[in-house]
Amino acid sequence: MAGRERLTNPPLMNRGVPKIVGRPGPTAYHRLNPLTKATLATITAVAAVVLGGLVGPVVLVLVAVIGPATVAGVLLRLIRTALLLSLPIAISAFLVNLFFFPGGEQVLLRIGPITATAEGLAFALEILARIVAISGAVTLFYLTTPPADLVVDLERRGVSPRIGFVANASVQTVPAMVERAMQITAAQRARGLDTEGSLWRRVRGIVPIVGPVILGSIAEVEERTMALEARGFARPGRRTLLWSPPDSVFQSALRWGLLVALLALIVARVTGVWA
Amino acid sequence: MIELRAEGLIHVYRTGAVRALDGVDLVIGAGERVALIGQNGSGKTTLVRHLNGLLRPTEGRVLIDGTDARELTVGQLASRVGLVFQDPDRQIFAGSVRAEVEFGPRNLGRSGNDLRSAVADALTATGLAGEEATNPYDLGQSRRKLLALASVLAMRTPVLVLDEPTTGQDARGIERVQGVVEAAAGEGRTVIAISHDMRFVAETFERVIVMRAGRIILDAPPAEAFAASSWETLRSTYLEPTLAAEVGDRLGLGSTPTDASLIEALRAG
Repeated sequence: MAGRERLTNPPLMNRGVPKIVGRPGPTAYHRLNPLTKATLATITAVAAVVLGGLVGPVVLVLVAVIGPATVAGVLLRLIRTALLLSLPIAISAFLVNLFFFPGGEQVLLRIGPITATAEGLAFALEILARIVAISGAVTLFYLTTPPADLVVDLERRGVSPRIGFVANASVQTVPAMVERAMQITAAQRARGLDTEGSLWRRVRGIVPIVGPVILGSIAEVEERTMALEARGFARPGRRTLLWSPPDSVFQSALRWGLLVALLALIVARVTGVWA
Repeated sequence: MIELRAEGLIHVYRTGAVRALDGVDLVIGAGERVALIGQNGSGKTTLVRHLNGLLRPTEGRVLIDGTDARELTVGQLASRVGLVFQDPDRQIFAGSVRAEVEFGPRNLGRSGNDLRSAVADALTATGLAGEEATNPYDLGQSRRKLLALASVLAMRTPVLVLDEPTTGQDARGIERVQGVVEAAAGEGRTVIAISHDMRFVAETFERVIVMRAGRIILDAPPAEAFAASSWETLRSTYLEPTLAAEVGDRLGLGSTPTDASLIEALRAG
């Protein structure tokens, strides 16, 4: 049957091998070392919380999120993704603080038993600024760094490949599951599953869609494990990396500098030197 | 039994992206057996997904028995065009073979004896009779693929579309699929299959449609599609003629797309 096999589809051999590794990013910001971008995101998020107030986080967003995002040409995507990410929590935090801020005196608006106070509004805006800074920083990192690049970089720095793999796999699983769910939905609709009808019909339609998503993912874990073993994943010893994201002395200095600045900021806040 | 028609069909997945379908005009009559071939990404799957409304045309239209597919819901289309996907694991969800096969016909409103006989016929045709109570995941991959085929077969749609039905099947599995195609066509149902298995295509279908870059570049019976004069067209979309066709041509026996036609030509010569 060799002749017959020859013409059928090749097996799914290269699944799981990240094709994006080693492809240089489109802009200078993309091309920064993944750890530099991760440091930037972490420090922006932590600093926004430590700084507090309104001015600090807003300046941080402008300097460390909007600025780099413009350089990287991802500003519009960043705004959209960051909003999607933070909107539910931002709205609820804003409303709760606006209406239920304890001890507010300047009443802005009264709806039945609840009142919105100026103090509440000010505090709600501060919380909002922090949420925007955190979601913006995380989104900027996500949009400019292929997860596999970070994993390879961490491995080069001596982090266990297992940790890297788990981190990478969990990031990659989400889009893979979304894609799987879409294909399954298509297959079930082709069998007459009503995904547009009444609520009850749609609820009943969940089982045929969620079932294969979960079963398939479980089955895939086993396959993935064996594929990794076959390629010597559990082998002890250090690996030779064929490629790793470039780094520079300047970037290393920048990372340490940012870290020191953050620590200084925390110390200043805790000791009350800078309020 | 119904006629399928595509008129000036264009499909673009994302604005600005390449045209997955770039002007397809096609009529498939009731009861035809049609193979759809072409390199990966040539638009075969995109085309068949228009036939049951999973995709809607960017431009042009699809007529199902004279009715514009846009006027029919996916539910209504599912009762006319049954589509079996490539990967059975992306549809199997039930705890037993019987429940899996019943899902489609139940959605179409079948019940009682009607449902039972539809399920029994589909299981017999795919060689799964006797496995009614088996958990689908206890079947091997190739039999799960036959189960997926059975689950659409049981819907008794006038049109049956198979995406890569023979991938991963051994000779016996391929014979089963061939049997299903022939039986369905015998009942007057239209069968369309996407395949990279040229031997299966040449042996099973009466019409071969070759696609490249979203267009139909050849539409002919197997004897013509696999004749030496078409090889250049086939190769332009990374397809190869069957071995029988190549041997027949080398020996100067004319177009012999299948093993059977080659042997016959050898006997006659």
